[in-house]
Amino acid sequence: MDAAKVERVYSSYAKVYDQIFGKIFHDGREHAVRHLALAPGERVLEVGVGTGLSLLFYPPSCEIVGIDLSDGMLAQCRERVRELGLKQVSLVRMDAGAMEFADDSFDAVMAAYVMTAVPDYRKVILEMIRVCKPGGRIILLNHFSNGNPVIAALEKFISPLCKQLGWRTDLSLATVLDGTLLTVIHKQKVNPLRFWHLVKCLNQKLPAEKTANGNGHSS
Amino acid sequence: MPLDKELLAILACPKCKGDIQLNEKGDGLVCQRCRLMYPIKDDIPVMLIDEAIKLS
Repeated sequence: MDAAKVERVYSSYAKVYDQIFGKIFHDGREHAVRHLALAPGERVLEVGVGTGLSLLFYPPSCEIVGIDLSDGMLAQCRERVRELGLKQVSLVRMDAGAMEFADDSFDAVMAAYVMTAVPDYRKVILEMIRVCKPGGRIILLNHFSNGNPVIAALEKFISPLCKQLGWRTDLSLATVLDGTLLTVIHKQKVNPLRFWHLVKCLNQKLPAEKTANGNGHSS
Repeated sequence: MPLDKELLAILACPKCKGDIQLNEKGDGLVCQRCRLMYPIKDDIPVMLIDEAIKLS
């Protein structure tokens, strides 16, 4: 699946997304934001901000940047931001797999229900690491396959629905983190079905050496 | 939701990864090097090369 198709699917679901998924995923989002442990003045990036269901949970003392590829989802999100009067939130439309932020721009980065819904999860995790400061927190909220046969059967059963939404069900956490300098410091199951994992990582990449090539963007 | 100055400072041109500036009208982010403008639609900068507007 390519990025343009993901964009189309989510833009067409934007208006009904909250009714379908709002309640189911609420618990996970709240926990994820709490685990970011944001201090006043910190800047946080939410990757795949969607309709902005997590925005209410952030402390008002932080600077929040939300990105999404879908025009339709961002339009819903903007309405939410206006209605709630969230002055500390900025939204930008961009590709999570090729972010247009300088290195080390954020104290914390969160991606809720993103990793299994993108064409290339590898690009996304590497970009999250790049734009997050060394020592920063990265939180993934997602379903990760775990090899449990009962859950594997369930995954297979719901797989047609997941495909429609562009979700893959066979991604394991180890696969996502493989070869990265992320250390898992907390992991818990969330949401009513306990089918999703909240994974908090410490970004242990090395501080960038000062080089002469512009803003230090890596490709 | 006007464009935050700090946000502008961390944003880069999707094409050359260089600096971008807010245009005079405030409706686009301009990369002088690439001669491209990334439109700001309803306060949301669209940082996608496919949606960029070529500057004359």
